[in-house]
Amino acid sequence: MSSFGPSSFLLDDYLEKLPGATFRKLYQQPSTAFAIFRRMLPPLAKVYVQALLYSPTPLTTNDIELWTRPEGKGTSNRAIARLRSLHIAQLSQSTRAKKAQDIQLTANFKKSLRLALEGGGSHNSFGVPSTLPTDPKIHIQYLDQWAGRIWQDILYYVVNSVPMKANESGGRHGSGGGGPKRAVRELLKMGGLVREGAGGLVQISEHGFNFLLQEANAQVWTLLLLWLEAADRNKALAKEQGTDITGTAIDNVEMLSFLFMLASLELGRAYDTSALTETRKNMLPALADFGLIYIDRDRPQQYYPTRLATTLTSLSTMRSVSASIDAATKKTPGDAGSLGADSTPTAPADENGGIVVETNYRIYAYTSSPLQIAILKLFCRLHMRFPNMVTARLTRESVQEAIKEGITANQIIDYLVAHAHPQMRRAAAARGTTVIPPTVMDQIRLWQLESQRMQKTPGFQFKDFESVEEYRQLAEYATEIGVLVWKDDRKGTFFVSKVEQIREFLKARKKGN
Amino acid sequence: MPRAIRGVLIECEPAIKSILIHIDSTQLNNDAIIEDLDETHLMVKEQMVKTLQARLDEKLKETYRVEVPLDDSDEDKGM
Repeated sequence: MSSFGPSSFLLDDYLEKLPGATFRKLYQQPSTAFAIFRRMLPPLAKVYVQALLYSPTPLTTNDIELWTRPEGKGTSNRAIARLRSLHIAQLSQSTRAKKAQDIQLTANFKKSLRLALEGGGSHNSFGVPSTLPTDPKIHIQYLDQWAGRIWQDILYYVVNSVPMKANESGGRHGSGGGGPKRAVRELLKMGGLVREGAGGLVQISEHGFNFLLQEANAQVWTLLLLWLEAADRNKALAKEQGTDITGTAIDNVEMLSFLFMLASLELGRAYDTSALTETRKNMLPALADFGLIYIDRDRPQQYYPTRLATTLTSLSTMRSVSASIDAATKKTPGDAGSLGADSTPTAPADENGGIVVETNYRIYAYTSSPLQIAILKLFCRLHMRFPNMVTARLTRESVQEAIKEGITANQIIDYLVAHAHPQMRRAAAARGTTVIPPTVMDQIRLWQLESQRMQKTPGFQFKDFESVEEYRQLAEYATEIGVLVWKDDRKGTFFVSKVEQIREFLKARKKGN
Repeated sequence: MPRAIRGVLIECEPAIKSILIHIDSTQLNNDAIIEDLDETHLMVKEQMVKTLQARLDEKLKETYRVEVPLDDSDEDKGM
C-alpha cells in the first residue's frame, strides 16, 4: 500500500498545493475566508489584509513598504508572499508608479471577509442552529468527554501498534469503544502513520511517532488532511475507471470549507443537519468517527461540534502534547461518572503523568495510563511496572532507536519536560536549573548527533549568474523571503529550499530591465 | 538567466564529507554527488541520498565505536 509523503501532513502545505481556482471557490464561503484569515496568516499579513479590505483602490507595494521599518523588510516580504500563495492578495504592474506593483485582495476573499465581519447575506456559512428541543444531558462537559475518548482511542491505536506492546495481552485498558472505527484505522494505515508488518501485525511508523508528539490541533488536522487526500484519491480512481466524475473539484472544496465552518460553530450548541448540502451530510458519519462532531442517536437531525472541531482554526498552541494526552487519558469512560468538575488543579500526579528523571538517566513515571506507558516505551527501556508507577531508563540504544524512527531529541525532551513531576519542577525552580537535568538533555542531543551525521535539505542550487549584481540581488531576495540555506559569494552560487518565488522574482526582474 | 539545479544539500563535518566523496567515487560510480561545494557542504542527487546514507552508516559501523555507557548493575537497589 502506498502512502502519502510526510509533506502533506501540514495544513499549510496542503493549501499551498491547491490551484488558484480551488481557492476562488473556497473563498466564496465567508466562514472559510474568515478561518484562513484567523489561522493561516502571520500578524503583519493580517494588518495588510485589514488595510486592504476597505480600500477602494489598490495600494502599491511602495505604500506598503513605508509602513515597515527598513529592517522589517524581510518580514514584510514574507507576509506578502504568504498572502499571494494563499491567493488572498494579488500583485499587478502598477499603472501609477514605475517599478512598483499594485497589491489588492482577490475579489472573492474580499467580499467574503467583509460579509463575515459585517454579517448579512444568506449564505448560512456559519451554520444553522437547530430550533428543535435538545437533550439536556448533552452539554459541553459531556461532549468533551466523548471527544476525548474517541481521540484517545485513535492515539492509543497508533501507540499500541508498537510490536513490543502486542505481547502485553493487547489489553485495551479503559477504552470501551473497542478502538477506532475501521475507516479510521484504514486511514491511519494509508497515511503511513502505522504500517502492516509481518503477520498482519500493525506497527507504528516514523510518521506515527511524529504524529503522537504533535499538539492536539495539529494531530486533528493531520488526520483530516489524510482523509481529504483519501477522498481525492478515490475520486481519481473513479475517474480512471470512467465513472461519473462531475463535481470532483466541488467536493474537495465542499469538504474543506465544511471543516472551516465547523471551526466557527459554538461549542455545546446543536446545529441543524437539514441545512447542510448533500456532500456535507455524507461527511457527518466520518467526522463523528474522528470525534469532531457528536450526533445523538435519538435526534439524527441535530449535530453538535466538539472541542476538537471548534478549535480547528485557533492559532494558539494552548493545548500542548501533554494537554492533549492528559485530556485524552483523563477522560476514560471508567471515571466518566466521577468527573464532576474540571479536575486539572487537583489532579493527582498519577493523572498528570508525573515523570521523574534522574541524572543517571533513570526515569520513574507515576502513571497507570497505558497510553503514556506506551509512549515512554518509544524512547526508554522499561524496567519494572507497579500498579501506579513504571521505572525506565534512557539508554543510547533506546534513544537512537527512537531517532531512527523519526523522533527528534527535542521532541523527547519536550515530552519529558511537559510531563515532569511537580516535585521536579519545584526542585528545578529552587535550584534555578532546567526541569530535566542538563546532563540528560545534553546526552539525548548528543545521541541524536551521533546518528545524524548529515544534515539534509532538499531544494535547488542556483549558479551561472550573468553578473555579480544579478547574483547579489537574487541571494538577497532569497534571504529576505527566508528560503536561503547556503551561499558562496566567491563562487557566486547559492542553495534555496523553495524555488517558486525566486522564479517569479527572476521573471519580474527580467521585465524590469 | 542563472541555472537552477534540483538536489539535496548535505551539511556535515569535513571528515564525514571526505568519506562520502570516497564512497561516491569507489562504490557509486560518481553518480551521487553533483558538486563539492565547500568544506562542509555537498550537492547530492535526490534519489541517491538514501543509498549514500546507508553506505555511510555501514562505513561508520566499521570504524566508529562508542563504549557502552552506564550499565544497569545497580538496578536492583531500587529507588
